[in-house]
Amino acid sequence: MTRVKCSKLRGKKPDELQKQLTELRQELNTLRVGKVTGSGGAQKLGKIRDVRKSIARVLIVTHQTTKENLRSLYHGKKYKPKDLRQRKTRAIRRLQTPKEKSIRLKKVQRRQWAFPQRTYAVKA
Amino acid sequence: MAPKKDTKETSATTKTKDTAVTASAKKTTKPAGSATTTTTKVVTKERKEKVQTKALKAKQRVVRGNKLTRNRKIHLKPTFRRPFTLRLQRQPKYPRRSVPKRNRLDHFAIVKYPLTTESAMKKIEDNNTLVFIVNIRANKPMIKQAVKKMYDVEAEKINTLIRPDGEKKAYVRLKADHDALDVANRIGII
Repeated sequence: MTRVKCSKLRGKKPDELQKQLTELRQELNTLRVGKVTGSGGAQKLGKIRDVRKSIARVLIVTHQTTKENLRSLYHGKKYKPKDLRQRKTRAIRRLQTPKEKSIRLKKVQRRQWAFPQRTYAVKA
Repeated sequence: MAPKKDTKETSATTKTKDTAVTASAKKTTKPAGSATTTTTKVVTKERKEKVQTKALKAKQRVVRGNKLTRNRKIHLKPTFRRPFTLRLQRQPKYPRRSVPKRNRLDHFAIVKYPLTTESAMKKIEDNNTLVFIVNIRANKPMIKQAVKKMYDVEAEKINTLIRPDGEKKAYVRLKADHDALDVANRIGII
């Protein structure tokens, strides 16, 4: 079997990918049976690895495309699923947002406006 | 209190009468009964509405009665049990996981491979059973379904054991209408 390529897979539709996945898994099953019965020989045994990796590739592509679609679906919305939000670190997620940090009392605002930090220069 | 309210009501009603008579009049006179002198007072629409609602509220309160004395429940038992309260169903604003978890123990993953040892062969011939190595996390009903899906065979019963090397072995006795030998040929065991 020719090597399954990710670039080829990305063009396919989801149900096509699913079909390919089941085909690959069935093939893997028969190969494993062959391994136990001692049938094919070295070539068949080597094929097991290829099939396993192809299955992995199909799964990767399906997962990536679904995730991408979901991200575009939730783009701009206020509430996103937690795995679509930024991960960063737990502490960073709990920090104040820049807007929250910039909030000041009206009194403080007025004071800062009325008495800003002055800079002086000495005339040479 | 009562007469005062009545006067308020009457004043309200007269004022409404005035609005009914004069189409969109902002200026109205005081109630006819009080004074003969035509002292025109500017009464705005808002003020009129305010007085009307106030009068209405007063009327309602008279009908309703004061809430100073509350209806107290009579408890006939010394224990207090929490009453049934409203329990709402969840209406999540977003799913916690964007994609639901995929089932990792599907029928491909359950049945790993069949056994082809001498004793397994004997089982196929004599007892109409197939012997599989199976995922250790699979249970008998799961195995039954998986074998059905993979090989189109109905299992009569399944016996499982865990081998010393940590793998699960499943003896799948097929139903009488299946022949284990044929199925084994089909799978590729023989």
